[in-house]
Amino acid sequence: MYEKVKRMTATMRIIHWVNVFSIITAVITGLYIANPFFQSFIAEPAAHKYVMAYNRLFHFFAALLLDVVSIVIFYLYFASRFEKVYKKVIPTKQNLKEFWEVFLNLITLNRRKNFDSTHLDSFNAVYFTVLHLLLLWMLFTGFYMYVQGLESGESAIGRWWPALLHLATDWVGWLLGGHAGVRWWHHFTMWLILSWVAFHIYYQVWRTIFWKEGDIGIVFGGYKFKKQPKEQV
Amino acid sequence: MQFFSREHLRSVFTKPTNYINTNRGEAYYKALYEKMRKRLDELKAMSPVREADIKFEKMLDMWELSRRDFLKWVSATTALLMLPPNFEPLVAEAAEVMNRVPVIWINIQDCDGNSEALLRSSAPTVDELILEYLSLEYHETLMAAAGDQAEEALEKAVHDFKGKYLLFVEGSIPVGMPEAFTIGRHPETGVERVQRLAKDAAAVIAVGACAAFGGIPAAYPNPTGAVGVMDVVKGKPIVNIPACPANPTNMVGVIMHYVLTGELPELDSLLRPKFAFGYRIHDNCERRAHFDAGEFVEEWGDEGAKNNFCLYKMGCKGPFTFNNCSIVRYNDGTNWPIGIGRGCIGCSEPDFWDKYATERPLAASNIRPPGLNGVESTVDQVGLGILTATVIGIGAHAVASLVAGKKSDENNQ
Ligand code: HEM
Ligand code: SF4
Repeated sequence: MYEKVKRMTATMRIIHWVNVFSIITAVITGLYIANPFFQSFIAEPAAHKYVMAYNRLFHFFAALLLDVVSIVIFYLYFASRFEKVYKKVIPTKQNLKEFWEVFLNLITLNRRKNFDSTHLDSFNAVYFTVLHLLLLWMLFTGFYMYVQGLESGESAIGRWWPALLHLATDWVGWLLGGHAGVRWWHHFTMWLILSWVAFHIYYQVWRTIFWKEGDIGIVFGGYKFKKQPKEQV
Repeated sequence: MQFFSREHLRSVFTKPTNYINTNRGEAYYKALYEKMRKRLDELKAMSPVREADIKFEKMLDMWELSRRDFLKWVSATTALLMLPPNFEPLVAEAAEVMNRVPVIWINIQDCDGNSEALLRSSAPTVDELILEYLSLEYHETLMAAAGDQAEEALEKAVHDFKGKYLLFVEGSIPVGMPEAFTIGRHPETGVERVQRLAKDAAAVIAVGACAAFGGIPAAYPNPTGAVGVMDVVKGKPIVNIPACPANPTNMVGVIMHYVLTGELPELDSLLRPKFAFGYRIHDNCERRAHFDAGEFVEEWGDEGAKNNFCLYKMGCKGPFTFNNCSIVRYNDGTNWPIGIGRGCIGCSEPDFWDKYATERPLAASNIRPPGLNGVESTVDQVGLGILTATVIGIGAHAVASLVAGKKSDENNQ
């Protein structure tokens, strides 16, 4: 007998897919911004076709979505009524043990499984937190570059916006050695995020195949299944 | 006010977007005018540094510059300093009392390109004349004196104008290998020289990328440990006028500002005057429409190049670079790098030679990755390396799982 366990609320799933599509958009448009890889053959005067401008626009839309969603996620880490993620990230003895056990499960190729796989485990919680830190880093480096174009100190929504961005991101330039360094890191972190994504997808599929608990369903329907121990059947 | 009234609609649709505050209100300019007036009167009351100096009008004559040339220059300079037109008489007067401000100009590790930029224009310019007219007490490449005589002149100037002279420094200072630069019969290293002369200066003006940030001598591997003036001189007001070479307009602008107000202009976080370095090249570039359109020069001399497309893919670093060349241009406003179709190499930014002066966009340039000195690769090569390593790890794990992995139900059996 299998028991159905709810793992993600609708909100959480929406957040997940918004993140996915924003990251895909940011990667594609970001690579174009970095080194425009297709030529615009549209037979229009320059003032009409706006290929780079649209790429940047979509990059910024993706960035905006990521930022807004980040704030929601940050809030949910502490205040979710469903599952407070921060409880799995703080290094308590129990969390450290769970992290280690899940890790062993992975490298012993599922020969050892001494933890409760019905809940969010510490290993995944930490892994997700790494992504959010990478996205936060993208946000700081991205906004550092963004505010370079507002050098007049004015913006369509007022002076507070560039002022706020300077306040929040000037340290990044100081840390990374100016615009070139910031752009290098922004671009490089994209590769870190892509590596993160590669392992993330592999790991969830691997779990689904080897644990036989339908883990992949979590992000689509919100549920996974847990086999009942025989005695209880 | 009614919603659809003209005034209201205008206020809704004309938010100040890309706009530099060139109008600070009547009260501000009135006070400023008074202040400048007072300062100029003070300077006028002083006698020129060298009594024998020729009058400014005579100078114009000698250089075959008409009064009209001069007035044109005055309007341009007034605009450069973001002053309203009624300040023009003050600017003109300021030019005439320039010889009251003593200047000492020294060269350390450099090519003298900044002095050259000021001097080697197509026709005599007022900027050049100003340099001649300034009370230039010491300038290695310009003065007639040599050897002991020159050293004496320098000592005398430092002694006579203690605390009053402006010290212009051109060139980077080798701190890692101080003996790489020594000068004079009583040899002095660059570090010693700059520190000694800065001690008694009213302010230090670093001209050119080298004096500001180390420039080309500081490029990797920086054999002499070259740095800019601000890393060597402490406790003195410093103005950086970077670029390779610094634009004569901006050098003269800083001097004019000092003559007019007795103060240094407002500076940004890299100590560059905001009136010149408050603009990003990319935002005032005549090719910007082609950037937004995605029309790029792909190769030198291709169709795009013939049609003045954007130079981003040929390595233009205008998006990273703050300077006013896109507005005032070079050589008397004749042209500038992007105008001739070459792209910006970011020469007014720190580390420009290592990080900006490439012929590809940043992402496609070989820039030493942080912490991996000596390795030359693009960010994509480094990043792809990491992604490849991840994928290999995943592959190994997947194969191992297929061969030796245990499915959970086997566990349970
Ligand atoms: C998953 C997230 C993101 C990815 C993968 C990504 C990727 C990239 C890449 C590859 C570039 C080109 C860098 C280069 O020239 O080498 C870029 C540029 C840029 N990104 Fe992002 N980015 C992300 C998020 C953000 C965020 C959150 C912001 C915040 C506003 C942002 C703002 C920018 C800006 C302003 C530029 C420079 C564009 C220009 O000046 O034309 N990005 N991004
Ligand atoms: S030529 Fe350079 S500064 Fe001009 S629009 Fe293109 S990238 Fe920007």
